[in-house]
Amino acid sequence: MAGTSWTAIEGDAPKSGSSKLKFIVGGVLIAAAIIFLIVNAASGSTQLYVTVEEFYQQQNRLMGRDLRMGALVVGDSIQYTQLDATTSRLEFDVVDSYENPQYTMHVVVMNEPKPDLLQHEATALIEGHVQADGSFLVNPGGLLLKCPTRYEEANPERLSQQ
Amino acid sequence: MGGAVRRLPTVNQEVILRQFPESGYWRLPLCPMIPDIGRLSLLIAFGAAVYAAIASVVGVQQGRTAIVASARNAIMAIFPLISIAAAAIIYALVIGDFSLDYVASVSSRGMPTYLKVTALWGGQAGSILFWNFLLAAFLFAAMLRKWKGEEHLIPLVIFVLAITQGFFLLITNFLENPFNRLAMIPADGQGLNPLLRHPGMIIHPPMLYLGFVSLTIPYAFALAALIKGDKDDGWIRITRRWTLVGWLFLSLGLILGGRWAYDVLGWGGYWAWDPVENASFMPWLAATAFLHSVMIQEKRSMFRLWNMGLIIATFCLMIYGTFIVRSGVITSVHSFAQSPIGPFFFGFLAIVFIGSILLILMRLDQFKAEHQISSFLSREAAFLLNNYLILGILVATFIGTTFPILSELVTGEKMNVGETYYEKVNGPLFAALLLLMGVAPMTMWFRTSAGRLQMSLRWPALVTTIIIAILYFALPLQGWGSPLGLWIVTFSTILTLLEFWKGTHARMRSKGETPWLAFSNLMARNRRRYGGYWIHLGVLVMGFGVIGTEFYQQQTQVRLASGESLSLGRYTLTFNGMREYAGADDLVNTEANLSLYENGRLVDTLTPRNQIYTRTRQPMTIPDLRATIGEDFYVLIVNWEGLSANAATFRAYLNPLVNWVWAGGIIFIIGTFIAAWPDPVDEKVKEAAKLPALQPAIGD
Repeated sequence: MAGTSWTAIEGDAPKSGSSKLKFIVGGVLIAAAIIFLIVNAASGSTQLYVTVEEFYQQQNRLMGRDLRMGALVVGDSIQYTQLDATTSRLEFDVVDSYENPQYTMHVVVMNEPKPDLLQHEATALIEGHVQADGSFLVNPGGLLLKCPTRYEEANPERLSQQ
Repeated sequence: MGGAVRRLPTVNQEVILRQFPESGYWRLPLCPMIPDIGRLSLLIAFGAAVYAAIASVVGVQQGRTAIVASARNAIMAIFPLISIAAAAIIYALVIGDFSLDYVASVSSRGMPTYLKVTALWGGQAGSILFWNFLLAAFLFAAMLRKWKGEEHLIPLVIFVLAITQGFFLLITNFLENPFNRLAMIPADGQGLNPLLRHPGMIIHPPMLYLGFVSLTIPYAFALAALIKGDKDDGWIRITRRWTLVGWLFLSLGLILGGRWAYDVLGWGGYWAWDPVENASFMPWLAATAFLHSVMIQEKRSMFRLWNMGLIIATFCLMIYGTFIVRSGVITSVHSFAQSPIGPFFFGFLAIVFIGSILLILMRLDQFKAEHQISSFLSREAAFLLNNYLILGILVATFIGTTFPILSELVTGEKMNVGETYYEKVNGPLFAALLLLMGVAPMTMWFRTSAGRLQMSLRWPALVTTIIIAILYFALPLQGWGSPLGLWIVTFSTILTLLEFWKGTHARMRSKGETPWLAFSNLMARNRRRYGGYWIHLGVLVMGFGVIGTEFYQQQTQVRLASGESLSLGRYTLTFNGMREYAGADDLVNTEANLSLYENGRLVDTLTPRNQIYTRTRQPMTIPDLRATIGEDFYVLIVNWEGLSANAATFRAYLNPLVNWVWAGGIIFIIGTFIAAWPDPVDEKVKEAAKLPALQPAIGD
């Protein structure tokens, strides 16, 4: 249909310099627009990624800042409380390592379901900020548990042999 | 090793029979040698890949076709060898040979047989073996073809394919071998994680793997053409269908992954811009750009360098995605455990990327275009703009995904970008792309007159504006983002439907056919073109769904005692009570019974439930929903206070147009099938002519 209107290669005249320039300018403008979108979006939505230990080492600087933290859940600390008909609070502690739980962060999540994977040894990815009382308040939708996609736990008791 | 291995199955049998006398362990005969046969097959397959790579080069250098033929045979031998290994591990999974570390970590005695089989790709080592298996199958199929007209590239194609297969076999043999044995044999395995026991998750990984391995074929031909210095475009024509098939599988993988997240994860969404999701989305984007711009090369011998870059980018992004998912270098909710294979994938990626770029630089003269774009208002320019936009989305997604690494390199601090970043960048770019999807088919090759284009767009634009204005006041629509998005999607949908109508109408007039016959013949005789329009239509329908869920999703979370209700939109949900019952596969279900009323009229009974796998204590939340074409009412149990309390907390979502996402996905897949199906007319034309570059395809 559309293509039947063109048939001849003769019509494809060599491009003039000004036409070429138009395409270059057009391309540059599109690239500039995309770069602007990226820079603009990135500047407003970044979170600093820290471990629990890194937070305590730079506590003054990081207090109140939007953070993302990946840490291990302490199973015994998980607590879900229904405060009233529409308000719930989920709390648990996270650590960088069970062997060296020197630094512990208390995490508070308001009005979110308790994820199925929230259990001891799970890795929680939390986004939010540390409040004045030292607890980490998670942003709405900011609690993620490592999905078990091809789930493999490290188990030192199971020794492999080649 | 040999002695220990021979003794292990005996221990295994004794332990299992003592502890689980009715386990059905003997349903399949136990053969202790089978895992060893699998391990040996993998080693031989690796040797075959190495031989094929060396022999193909030696054969070319010495001009000895017998050596090249032996390389081809070696490549073909890999498939049966890996099939033996895959069969061996499936056998071990099914009979529960927990002497194998892999089997013990992903399988358990209580799992249904079909899940034991699918546990092949339920863990790192098994999934890489499965990847190897699929790649070998595609290589086998590729080697069976004659590749008429491109035979001169085959030795180098064998070389590239053998290197790729060899790399994956190296990983399987020496780093992630599923046949590794345990020193202490557990009586039962850990079993597949409950969240992975969903049809979407069973099919989703194989689809992605199939997409990835299928795209290896066009990459191999592209690289062979580069190495050879081949100026002909034949490799593009001959591998187009492989690219389309790879793209189809990638699309299926993405859609099924979204459906799994929606059904299982209980957050009411289907896409979260997680690095692992992006890992499969980026090669899909590059392949999409390639499939569009390749048409320009076929028709006008333009964009040669661009297309070569795109197919290389597609392959590199595939390896990069695998590196992200399996190395643990970027924190994701989906990533595999930290694994030693990360540096190997990175090394392979570096070799592929740098090698390909060097080859391009060495062969720059090969890419000289025969024609140039003459007008902004032309099909070629529209395709170029399409590519710019897709690449813009790709670059933005790549930067977002890699942001933690980039920021650490630049600032010393590891930063992360959230979903907002992707929405802010990719939202406008997708909107522009959807608009172009409707407008581009209105343009002509070479040049379109502005007046004619304006004529084609004027009435659809007016009709769209009237529809959106009515919706704006009737629903009402909110803000400016969703009305604008809906305007674009509606406008492009009308333009796409008009293309079908114009083609059908033309046939009815010229051939005197009935409407249905004219429509069928139009599809049958122009599969590539109208398959493409079906794909566009699928994307546009998905666009409606995305706008609905992004802008108009509502949710609430309320504690309800028996007899109490919550309201959401025009719905009321009343809690009737809970019950507990045992299910198959050591499951205990706690199920809520809820009555759903729409404007006061009972329309459904919803039964969301919590499941607990008693042995592993792994809970799983199963939402329930009422799905209609307009929306989903989606509810899940957030907290249950016990049978005696007879109260529970529920979260409910109202997801407008979410089913349009899935319906669009189905249309999209059907369109891809139509486009990929061999077109007899097109084949004949190609066969007969070896057409000059500018000659249009029939029906264009």
